[in-house]
Amino acid sequence: MPLHPYLFYHQWYKVDLVTAGWLVVTGIAVFIMALVMRSRLDMRSPKGLQNVMEWVFEFTGGMTKDNVGSNTGRRIVAPLAFVILVYLFFSNWLGLILTIEWIPGHNISSLGVAAGTKYSLLNSPTENLNMTMALAILVWFIGHLNGLRHPWHWFKHVFIHMFPMGIIDEVLNPLTHGMRLYGNILAGEVLIEAILRIPKLLGFLPTGLPLLVIWLLYSAFVSTIQAYIFTMLVTLYIGNKDHSDTAHHVA
Amino acid sequence: MGIIEPGTLIFSLLGFLIIYWIIWKVAYKPLSKMMEQRRTYIEDQITSAETSSAEAQKLIEEQRALLEQARSDVREMLDSARARADEQAQGIIAKAQEEANRLLEEGRQMIERERKEAAQEVLTQVADLTVQLTTKLLRNHVTEEAQAAIVKEAERELGELVC
Repeated sequence: MPLHPYLFYHQWYKVDLVTAGWLVVTGIAVFIMALVMRSRLDMRSPKGLQNVMEWVFEFTGGMTKDNVGSNTGRRIVAPLAFVILVYLFFSNWLGLILTIEWIPGHNISSLGVAAGTKYSLLNSPTENLNMTMALAILVWFIGHLNGLRHPWHWFKHVFIHMFPMGIIDEVLNPLTHGMRLYGNILAGEVLIEAILRIPKLLGFLPTGLPLLVIWLLYSAFVSTIQAYIFTMLVTLYIGNKDHSDTAHHVA
Repeated sequence: MGIIEPGTLIFSLLGFLIIYWIIWKVAYKPLSKMMEQRRTYIEDQITSAETSSAEAQKLIEEQRALLEQARSDVREMLDSARARADEQAQGIIAKAQEEANRLLEEGRQMIERERKEAAQEVLTQVADLTVQLTTKLLRNHVTEEAQAAIVKEAERELGELVC
C-alpha cells in the first residue's frame, strides 16, 4: 500500500494529504473543463468537448431514467449521476498519469513522515477508502432521504419486505459501493508501483516496461469501468428506494 | 483503525459537495438548458417543416386544379371555335350553291328569251318568205284579202308549230 503524508497526523481527524491534494486538483481540472465547455457551448454545431459532455449527459440521463421511477427522484439523481461520472473519471485516471515518489531526508512529525521511507505523492483520490466511502455514504443518505418522501413505502421496503435482508442490504450496499471502487483503483496503483520496482536488467534495461504498459492499459480500462459502475449503482441504489405512484422497481 | 480516517472522509465529502455544486452550476445547468433549447428548436423546425410541406402540397393541388381547368377551357374554346367554323363554312357553301343556282337560272332564262326572240324572227321571216313565194306562185290568182288571210293563217300555224 502506498504510504502518504498526513495533515494533523496525531489527531483523530488526520487528513490524507495526497488524497486531499489530488481531490482539489481533480476539482480544478473538472472546473476548467466545464468552463471551457461552457464558453464554447453551441446549440447548432456542437464540437469536441461539448459532444463528449453531451454524450455523458445523455448517458447518465438514460441510466437515471432506467433506474429511477419518479420525476422528483430523476431531478435529484440525473445531475448527481452526471457529476459523479465526470468526477470519478477524472480522479480515477489521475493516478495513472505519473508516479511521484518522495523519500524525505528527515522526520517531519506533523506530517507523519519518517526519514528514508518512500512516500507516494501522486495517487488517485479514489485510492483512499475514506474518499470513496464518503461518496457512498452521501449516496446512501440521498437515497434514504428521497425514499422518505413516502415514509410508509420506505418503511415497508427496508424493514418488512424480505425482512432481515432489507436491513442487511442497506448496510452492505454503501459498504460495497465504496469499497469496490477503492479496491479496484488501489489494486491498479499498487501494482504499478510494484512493476516500477522490478530491477533493471544489467542496470539499465527496463524489463518491466512491457508489463507496465499492459497494466497501465488495463488500469485505464478499469478506471473507466469503475467510474461507470459507481455511477450506475448510484442510480440503482437511489432508484431502488424511490417510491412513487409511477415507480417501477428495478431489482 | 489504521485505514479509517474520519478527517479524510469529511474533507472528501466537503470537497465533493463543492465540486458537485461547481459542475452543476458550470456544466450541468447550461448543458441541460442548451439541450432543452435544442430539443424545442428541433421540434419547432419539424413542426414548421410539416406545415410548410402541407402548404406546398395544398398549393400543388391548387395549381393542378387550375391547370386542369385551363386545359378544359382551352378544349372547350377549341371545340366551339371548330363548330363555329364548320357552321360558317356550311353557310358559305350554301350561299355559293344558291348563287350558282341563281346564275344558272338566269342563264337559262336568258337563253330561253333569246331562243324565243330568234324563233319570232324566224317566224316573221318565214311568213314573209312564204307570202313572197306564194305571191310569185299564185300571181294574179289571189286577192289582197285572200293573201292577208293566208298570211294570218300561216302565221298562226307556224306560231303553233314553234310554240
